[in-house]
Formats: sequence, structure tokens, C-alpha cells
Amino acid sequence: MVVGEVPEPVDLLVVGAGPGGYVAAARAAELGREVVVVDREGIEGGLGGACLRVGCIPSKALIELAHAYETTRDAGRAGLRVSGAEVDLGAFQDWRGEIVTKLEGGVGGLLRRHRVRYLVGEVSFSRPDRAVVAFVDGNSSFLEFKQAIVATGSRPLELSALPVDGERVLTATGALALTAVPPAMAIVGGGYIGLEIGTAFAKLGAKVTIVEALDQVLPTFAPSLVRPVLRSLENLGVDLRLGTLATGLDGDALVVTGADGEERIEAEKIVIAVGRTPNTDGLGLQTTGARLDDKGLVEVDERRLATPDIAAIGDVTAGPALAHKASAEAIVAAEALCGLPSAFEPLAIPAVVFTDPEIASVGMTLEEAKKAGLDAVQAKGTLASNGRAATLDADDGFTQVVVDRAADRVVGVHMVGPHASELIAAGALATEMIASPADVFGTIHPHPTLSEGLHAAAEQLVERAPVAVGGDS
Amino acid sequence: MATEFKLPDVGEGIDAAELIEWRVALGDEVVEGQPLVDVQTDKAIVEIPCPVAGTVLSLAGEEGDRIAVGTVLAVFGQAGEEPSAPATPTAADAPETAAAATASRTDAPAGREQEPPAAPSPEATTSRPLASPAVRRLARERGTDLREIVGSGPGGRILREDVDVPAAPTGDRPPFAAGATPPSRGVAPREDEVVPMRGTRRLIARNMADAWRTIPHIIDFREVDLSKLIAARRALREHGAELSTFALLAKIAATAAIRHPQVNASLDAEREEITVYGAVHLAVAIAAPSGLVTPVIRDADRKSAVEIGAEIAALSEAAGSRSLTVEQLRGGTLTVNNYGALGSTFSTPIIPPGQVVNLGFGKVEERPKAEDGEVVVRPLQWLTCSGDHRALDGEHLGAYVNEVVAMIEQPSLLLADLT
Repeated sequence: MVVGEVPEPVDLLVVGAGPGGYVAAARAAELGREVVVVDREGIEGGLGGACLRVGCIPSKALIELAHAYETTRDAGRAGLRVSGAEVDLGAFQDWRGEIVTKLEGGVGGLLRRHRVRYLVGEVSFSRPDRAVVAFVDGNSSFLEFKQAIVATGSRPLELSALPVDGERVLTATGALALTAVPPAMAIVGGGYIGLEIGTAFAKLGAKVTIVEALDQVLPTFAPSLVRPVLRSLENLGVDLRLGTLATGLDGDALVVTGADGEERIEAEKIVIAVGRTPNTDGLGLQTTGARLDDKGLVEVDERRLATPDIAAIGDVTAGPALAHKASAEAIVAAEALCGLPSAFEPLAIPAVVFTDPEIASVGMTLEEAKKAGLDAVQAKGTLASNGRAATLDADDGFTQVVVDRAADRVVGVHMVGPHASELIAAGALATEMIASPADVFGTIHPHPTLSEGLHAAAEQLVERAPVAVGGDS
Repeated sequence: MATEFKLPDVGEGIDAAELIEWRVALGDEVVEGQPLVDVQTDKAIVEIPCPVAGTVLSLAGEEGDRIAVGTVLAVFGQAGEEPSAPATPTAADAPETAAAATASRTDAPAGREQEPPAAPSPEATTSRPLASPAVRRLARERGTDLREIVGSGPGGRILREDVDVPAAPTGDRPPFAAGATPPSRGVAPREDEVVPMRGTRRLIARNMADAWRTIPHIIDFREVDLSKLIAARRALREHGAELSTFALLAKIAATAAIRHPQVNASLDAEREEITVYGAVHLAVAIAAPSGLVTPVIRDADRKSAVEIGAEIAALSEAAGSRSLTVEQLRGGTLTVNNYGALGSTFSTPIIPPGQVVNLGFGKVEERPKAEDGEVVVRPLQWLTCSGDHRALDGEHLGAYVNEVVAMIEQPSLLLADLT
């Protein structure tokens, strides 16, 4: 096909095959739409988006490897004696490839079952109802669509002083693709991606330095949640440089400027993890009537509609750049474009950080709740008093529940500890279901498990009539 | 000094009424006797006048509310007095914005990915109704604003059953059907409209559903020839008695009921009793702006066709101006329905609770009829007479209808009832 050909009619065009795009495509197909998905990545390894292929999933595989390796060294006290444990990142990459291939196959099967057509190419919109798809072979095609969903995601931000070369200077994606553990790694950015990669490589034996321009890491999480992670990083020997700017390369070293002036940090690999930027440049969205803000995010209403016939979801819209947010928005957008009453109105979007210990948070913190004018109180269930935590040799952590006393409802749950990422769904459920502390406490939690932390915190917040104790004075 | 005015007993045995329309507003200067409010009882819409002159300081309730007799309806102050506060304060809801559902991305130097906000935003959690995701979705499907619902769950939580009341069928947009195309652009469909069932409509709904559920209807259909009745009407007119065909039919229905009293009755299922009435109080179905009403012509059996005709005209006018009284709507023992005037040839009347017969008259049309072996054209009409089979058998109902048919086809039979 060549430019100038008669445009091909498309019922619903979905741009992007990540956790936003493929969920939207399947839902729209269920509702009777004929869907075409276009993604710029090739059919080999093109499905599932950055999250599945180069982000969340590969990083969790690496974190799992690092955790297992660390266990072989640290579980001696528990009676595990391992000698000769070695890390083979080359073998790891094969395993990771199998995981990704399997999951991609799942996404491909989902799209096939829903009779969704899949095209590989770069989309740019040229009119409110038309887009050009540029194929890898140089050809292109016009699509005339009735409706469209933009789900093109985001990509790592780059630093002009430290251009990514794929050899010495890597993105997180590059770091996850390494076939050998570098002796020293410097990570620029103390956000969740920087900390996750730093923790994993430190466990795998690299000398890790994390450089962060702010004077704290994970600034959106309460300091009390971050403290156990900082202690753990220190135990792993991670050198954390706060209030420090990375300014460039000098030979074998990363040059940074901090309170003590300029300094050189020796590192074979430098990983840039300073944030992500939405993939909206070059999409031509301005020709459709959609509006972008100054960060390149598409402005959408509660139905995720940017124009009456074009929706945008996931990292290209405001809010946390998280896969589960994109998938939830995908359902809303698909239904809204099909005329169903649907809106994106969660009370809580969970956020998880796969550090060691893990951090997970949903809803409001005590400070946020008080600032919002609520009669808020909180209580903690600590791992120090949890039997299961003792058997995991992990007693540094807690589960915190924030309650609005006026409405007698849970408004937030925050955790730090092993498997917090798995446990937080209970907090999200309690928040969305407007559970009271008595609801949570009245729900039997299994023993011995880490989930008892939530139960213990809720118990302290249940308002009970005081029991008279003692004599008849 | 302020005067409290309580909802008076607007009719025998009525303990509550529905507010239909306030006729004054807060702060209005009113004079005694000026219309204050229209309320609907089980029987009629009643206009309640202002009891005193002065300023309206408060009004209790909103249109559509049911108010118990004895509840303070309005407070009147001295002329010129200022109203202090509305009687029913409304909750000051914080406005909900689409933006509240999503947190704004912070733009720290370290980059966005370090800022996954845990919550959509504090406002999203604090100002929103207490409802779970499934309930919120149901409300959206039903077009229900959760902020207008008082939850019945603990602490006012809105439960599924608070929202899951029978939906107005027009409230939802139809789901997008498989294989269908999206709504076409350019052609704006007419907006759907949800009309709350209030007043007369609500009353009709309740009564008719009751009747349909509890009364086993038997229906007797007859075709009658109105040639002689129309000739009689013409003769009467020539003698200065102007009356409608329906007035004559109503007179016949009442007269026949005296000869067959089993149709002029009511049935009490609980006490297992049938009351056969001595007098015929004829209820006449009239299409009023607010819906069907059935005002009553008292002692119709003892009134002339001219008197009955005059009463029908007066009651129709009152129904049109919503000025029927409770008294005019109460006590019917037998109903007649002139749906032929609406163009219907053939209908099946529903018996109102408390009676056992509803007699309907179809449209009078010239149609062919076999007469003495010849096809002739005559003004014909379908009679449809519904009877409550608990009180009447086909035989009893048929005897009454035979009498009605005989009188219509031979109006001189009415002479027998002259006293």
C-alpha cells in the first residue's frame, strides 16, 4: 500500500498493544466492535507493551533471581548451607525470554480470540477520523476510523549530559538486558525503578551507587515507609548520594556534584532512571482536536475521552504511570466509546515498589487525610510481633491503616515488608468497599501469615465500649 | 408572630397526601384563601388555601413528597417578616470534578516515575458518596446520582438495593449491540426523558396493578345497533332536550343495574362478603390532563338522562381544570367508560377495586349488518362489559348486558321506569 491510496475503513483503532491497548481492544471486541490494533514494535516481541517486554515483568524476574541468590548466602543461620552458588545472567536472559514469550503468547491469543487485527507500524493522526500507518518496510497506509483509543505509553526520560549509548550508559531496559553483572553500577535517579534495579544488582554482587538530585528517595511515600528500605540498602552496601546531580562522564567514572563539590564515581555501567515521558510527540493528535498539556499528556474527561470519538488511556494521560491504571482506564474507554455508561472513578490506585522490603500503598496517608479535613487516625501492625515474619527472618516493617472516624471507614493502607505488593490488594479492597475497621477486624485472617498485620492494625481502630474492670467502687 | 399551618384532614380516612405543586414561594406575601399547595390524596387532587395572610416563612417538603396529616406544611409570619432559613436544608456537597479522579503528576527533577501517587487524590475519597465500585457502576447504568441517595447501610453506606430499584426504561442508553455500528454523527437523536411517577399516575399505577392482580375478569362482548337510540336522541333534541349519546348510554347502564343489582356491588375478599347497593352511583371514566379519573354521578338511577348529561359535562370540566373534589371522586358503585370518544372500537375495561363491573362503549360506526336476510348499513357499536368473576358468573353478567342491549336497541323500554 502507498500513500494516496483509498483509505481503509476501520471501526475502532487502538494505538498501542500494552496493558492499556490490548485490554481496550478485547473489551471493545466483546462489545461487538471490529478492532484494529497498531503497535510500532514488531510482531516478534511486539505485544504487551513496555511493561511486559522490557519493564515490570523482566525486572520482577531479575529481582527474583537476586533474592534467591541472596538467600543462598544469608540463610546459613536458618540451616541452609550452599557452596558454589553462581549467577549466570546469560542463562537468566534465556529464562526471562521464555517468560516474556509465554506472556506475549497469552496476549496474542487474547487478541485472536476476540478477532482483533494486529498491524505493526507507526501511527500518526492526520484528521479527527484518519491516521497514517507507516510500516517498517517504508510503505504506509491510510486508515479512516470511526473511533480510536490512544494507548501509546511512555518511554524513559533521557539526560542531555548523559546520552544513552546502550553500552556504558543504559536505560532501565538496558540494565535488565545485561548478560553479566558489572563490578560497579551507578544509577541516576532514586525513584522506584532506580531503587529496584539498584537493590537487585547489589544483591547480585555489584557495587551500586544511587545518585538522586532530591534530598530523599521515593518522595511520594511517607518517610516511615521508606526507612526500612534505606536500612536494607545500607546493609547491601548501596552508596546513596542524595542532593547530588549527575553532570557527565569522565573516562571510567560518572561525574556528580553534591554538597561536597564535584566527585567521580567509578562505574562500568551507568543506568539512567530519572522518569518517563509520554509517547505523544509525533502522534499528530493536535489534528484530531485532542488537547495536550505542557508535559505532553492528553487531556481527557472521566470517560477518558479526549474528543467525542477518541479516547486516551494509561501513561499518555495524567495520573500515575502504572500498568494497572492503564488497564482499568482501558475498560472505561472501550465502554464509553460503545455508548455504555462508564467512568474512571477509583477511590484508590495501589502503588507498589519491589525493593527489599517491598513498599505498597493505597489511598490516603494520615497527613493527606487530615489535610483533606477528615477526622483521621491511624494504627500499625508491626512485623516484629508477626510470627510468619519471624520465620522469614524479616521483622523490619509494618502495615498501617488510616481511618476516617466520622465515616468509620478505611481511607488508606500502607505497608512495608516482604510481599507487601501481594498484600496491598486487601487494602485496596477495604478502601473501595468503604470497609470500616470493624469490617476488617471482623474478617478472619489466616495464621500464621503476613496478612495478620492488616488485621492487627484494624483491631486497634475498632471503637468498642470500654469494659468495666475491677471491683464495685 | 409566626403561624404554623399543619396539613389538615383533607378527606375522610385519609392520613397522608402527596405534594403535587406549591402555589407560593418562600418569602411571598399571601392573602388568606389564596391557593397554597395542591396535594393528592388517594382520591383526588385537593387545593389547600393559605389559612392566614402574611409572609411565607417556610414550606415543608418538595413536590412528590408524601406528607402525613398533622405535619407542619408551612409557616406564615407577619407581613414583611423575612424568612430565616429554608425548612429543608440541603447538604452542601463539594463539587465533584473529573480531575478529582486522577491525581496530578508531580514534576520533580528526578522524574515522574518516582511519583506514583498512592491515591487518586484526597478530594476523591472525601467528597464522594459511600458506595462500592459495583454500586457506583450500577448507579451509572441506572442514571442515578449517588449524591441524591440516602444509603441504608451502616453509617449511610449506599447498598446495591438502595440503587437497584426498578429502572425507568427510558433512563438508559441501550447497550451497544454486537455487530451494530456506533451512533452516526450529525443526526442528533431526541433526548431520552425520565418522568417521575407522581400523583394521579402513581395512584393509577397502584390501583390498576391491584385490580389486575386480584380481580379475575370475565368479559362480555356485544355488537349493538344504535339506530333507534340515535333517532330517539334526535327526537328529544327537537323537543329542546340537548343531550349526548353517551348520556343516554349512561342512563341505560344505571337503569339496567337497578333491574340486575348483582352488578352494582362490591366485594370484600377478606370478610368474604358481597355488598349489593341499593342506589347506583355511576362512576364515569374521564381522561384528565393528569391521567384517568372517575368522578361519580350520585343516584344516577333516579336522575334523568338530561341531568346525567349535565353532570357528565360539569365533571369533565372540573377534571380538566383539576378542580374535582374528594367527594366527587368517592363512592362509585359501577363504572362506565366511553373510550369510543377516543377512537377505540373495541377495548377491555379494567374493573376498579371496590366495584364488580366496568362497562365500556366503543366508537359508533356505520357498518353492514344482516337484517331480515338483507345486508343493511346501521350505526353499530361494540359494548365490552368486564365483570369480577369472584362476584358474578357469565350468566349474571350476561343478564345485565342483555338488558343494556335491549334498552339501547329499543329505547322505549326506558318508559317502563317512568314513575
